[in-house]
Amino acid sequence: MDAELFLGYGLVAAVAAVLGSMLGLGGGVFLVPILTLFFGVDQKVAIGASAVAVVTNSIVGSSVHLRSRFTNLRLAMLLQVTTAAGATAGALFGVGADPRIVSAVFGGVLLYAAISMLIRREAKSAPSAPVAGSAALAGELDGESAAPSTLAAAFHDPAIGRDVRYRPRRLPLGLGISAGAGVISGMLGVGGGVVMVPAMNLVMAVPLKAAVGTSAFMVGITSVATAFVFYSQGEINPTVVVPAIIGVFVGGQFGSRLTRRLRVQRLAAVFSVLLFYLGLSLLLQAFGVTLPGQR
Amino acid sequence: MTGPDDRLAPLSQAVVTCLTWGFRVGAAFLAGGLAWALYQREPLNTDADPFVEVVPTVLAGEAAGIVDLAILWLMMTPVAAVVVLLVGFLRLGERRYALLSLVVLLILGFSIGLALRR
Repeated sequence: MDAELFLGYGLVAAVAAVLGSMLGLGGGVFLVPILTLFFGVDQKVAIGASAVAVVTNSIVGSSVHLRSRFTNLRLAMLLQVTTAAGATAGALFGVGADPRIVSAVFGGVLLYAAISMLIRREAKSAPSAPVAGSAALAGELDGESAAPSTLAAAFHDPAIGRDVRYRPRRLPLGLGISAGAGVISGMLGVGGGVVMVPAMNLVMAVPLKAAVGTSAFMVGITSVATAFVFYSQGEINPTVVVPAIIGVFVGGQFGSRLTRRLRVQRLAAVFSVLLFYLGLSLLLQAFGVTLPGQR
Repeated sequence: MTGPDDRLAPLSQAVVTCLTWGFRVGAAFLAGGLAWALYQREPLNTDADPFVEVVPTVLAGEAAGIVDLAILWLMMTPVAAVVVLLVGFLRLGERRYALLSLVVLLILGFSIGLALRR
């Protein structure tokens, strides 16, 4: 085991986990491009390592979100059905696909994430159908069907010092987007938060911190489906996976705590530039163009 | 906060406990495997062992086997969390969400099944 490489992979994973945890995107969004573009790691090995690292990041990060009550467990299980199915299908496709196709898809996803982050606005309480009391949240008011009502939830946001109540909207669309997120997650090993957070926030009117918390829990389960498919094909390489796991442990702890104390939207512009650069690099790589400093 | 979701508070706590202990045990395996690898000057595998070979390599005292076991343990931890959710929703009488948890488990079972056939 090359000690310098081990430390390098670990450091990259730590930084990726901090960024991914703070943005609810999962560390894989940063980890796979950096490992492949700057360290020359085989793409499928990087994706396999990322999937395992995302699982670890989710285990650590989602515990913090669960304690803070940001995570909507019912919504997570509902969306997880299509996300996990999509992830399995995506991983089966990705593990056998031409690396250039995977690079092109990855680049497109990162550019989408960069642009959506720039235009993202946190869902206001009015469009997310504020709920008057606990009975409504248990699905007993308004004469609505139980399914959407029981998905309603509340949490205390320490950054603004008040309780936030919400009810997810557009469930069928959310389920469809979740399936797509799962396919992308399985193909790229990114966890799916890069799609799920904006989808829950912008489409389903879930407040950003609840979307981040719910996504952080979901990406772990989604990535398990991905990781086992890559494991079945012998693409889980412990010399890359282990430093990635250690890195995300350190970075995930730090990032989750930062999320509780910061107004995440303020960081969006900075991180969107980084995502844009990585996305463009992968797109160019798919067409055989390598930027200076990359492999 | 005395919120409307207090009904789910024990379930959230159970999931946190599952994830926390899953991580602690996995991390202990990983730390032990790495320490043993350093002591033995044994390299890690460049391809994790298949399921059926992991336990024999651990019993043989190979550090790489312990590290592979740690990786598999961490991969199984979210699966255990879904089992906790399934049982928790059943206890709360929320059959709809228990059923959803079961479907998620079945999907994960498919990809685990692929790995078992390796």
